[in-house]
Amino acid sequence: MKKYLMIYKESMRVSIASAATYRANFILHSIITLLGNIVFPLVTLLIYGSGASFEGWSMYEVLLIQSIFTMSTGLSNMFFGGMVWNTMEHVREGTFETVLIKPVDCMFYLLATNFGIHSFGVVAGGMVVFIISLVHVGNATIVMWLQFLLLFLMGLFVMLGMELLMAATSFKWVANSRIPEMYGSVRQFGNYPQTIFNKSIIYLTSFILPVGMIGFFPASALLGRLEWWMLVSIFPCILFLMLGIWVYRYMVRLYEGVGG
Amino acid sequence: MNNIKHRFEVIKAVALVTYKEWSAYRTHSMVSIFVGPVYFLVQYFIWNAVYGNQGAALHGLELEQMLRYYGAIALIGYLTMDFADWNLQMLVHSGKFLTFQLRPIHHRFFALSQKLGHRVLGFLFEFLPCFLIFQFIFKIDMIPKYLGFTIISILFAFFMNFYVNYCIGLSAFWLVQASGIRNVFQALSSVFSGALIPLVFFPDFIQKLLFFLPFQYTTYVPAMVFSGSYTLAGISMSIPQIVLLQGIILLLTIGLSEVLYRRAIYRFTAAGG
Repeated sequence: MKKYLMIYKESMRVSIASAATYRANFILHSIITLLGNIVFPLVTLLIYGSGASFEGWSMYEVLLIQSIFTMSTGLSNMFFGGMVWNTMEHVREGTFETVLIKPVDCMFYLLATNFGIHSFGVVAGGMVVFIISLVHVGNATIVMWLQFLLLFLMGLFVMLGMELLMAATSFKWVANSRIPEMYGSVRQFGNYPQTIFNKSIIYLTSFILPVGMIGFFPASALLGRLEWWMLVSIFPCILFLMLGIWVYRYMVRLYEGVGG
Repeated sequence: MNNIKHRFEVIKAVALVTYKEWSAYRTHSMVSIFVGPVYFLVQYFIWNAVYGNQGAALHGLELEQMLRYYGAIALIGYLTMDFADWNLQMLVHSGKFLTFQLRPIHHRFFALSQKLGHRVLGFLFEFLPCFLIFQFIFKIDMIPKYLGFTIISILFAFFMNFYVNYCIGLSAFWLVQASGIRNVFQALSSVFSGALIPLVFFPDFIQKLLFFLPFQYTTYVPAMVFSGSYTLAGISMSIPQIVLLQGIILLLTIGLSEVLYRRAIYRFTAAGG
């Protein structure tokens, strides 16, 4: 365990050092992602600004959902967002052997070495909007905060599971660089109040591909709008992560290299 | 005349090779058949919820017009999509740009020909299937009001996107790693091109400012020409007028790209390519 922690720490250090090589580029990138994520709920602001609304939802409630969604996706990008690209690149180039011969678990190694500091701006931007929204929607109790943290963690489980599943497809479907786009499009359903969608989409985004857990469900906990079926959705999230890990480990065995 | 004929032959050859090269990754393009309609579905529910609550038109747009707008945005995107900035900055960053300096062809012309081939593929595997899905599954009327002007406007947007992105890519001659400035531009473009929401929703002073920035000419203008009417910052223009303005802005952008290219080329250094 200590060895793995050391590896992760070292990988984070390398990622930061690497970003510092092109300092101007990194600073520009961080500022724009920070600003970009402060204005990300632009559509919501413009809709409410024009006098329209999502029925039953105040502007700050919607912003709370979207800020949680942003923080969650930012953390996901930072800690495991590079998994897909890196696995894909290794398979395409035929260099996955260089990962397999290392004396550590290959899945952990790829997760650690793909730590991406560049997504810090996304998390920070999301947090700014999160705090502003929270100030406007009122206080949450300790129980609500605990529910929020649990559901937020489940949202991260979903995203890690999805990253692993997408990465796993690379072993058979080489150069599938647009797979994340497919996931990204479905993930958008978690960025809005689920009440605006029809029942089949709510069912799909709660129990089949539980992207509702990325933004909407944790926000519902903080807003005191949590319902029992949202908690049931925790199980598909855990299953999703387990499925991702299992499929990735299985697909690694199917890798056919060409010498590295 | 011979020069034009020669250029046409070059475009044809490069576009054909690019088409064949990317045809090997057809499924790559066909992912749009899933992604486009899913994004559209999200917009469909958002705007149904908003209009369901509102009832009346928003900024002069009825629900059906709004849905047509998002459909048009998606389809135009498939025809004008461009990554000339990424390509150029990669060539400069890696030093491979040197190989283009040795060829008897201007790199920008080569890149434009590549884009042409790439977008023919986009037309077949992205535009056509999504057009049919929007038209027959979502039952949104995707036939433009003025077909001729819409085609001209999309062509202008195609070139505008390319030349603007090429200018951004040229920044790599100064910065080497230009992904930061690319991200800045892309973030601004995603907001101010009209891809996110019709520009008439923005505050008035931003709408006025957008006349002087390149963003609306790549997306909002062709989408509004498709819709059959154009308004921004309270200024309504006839379709021929706005298409003419788009053409003038395109010419200015081409000029800017030439000036930047001439300055940039003096800064180029490479170590063997």
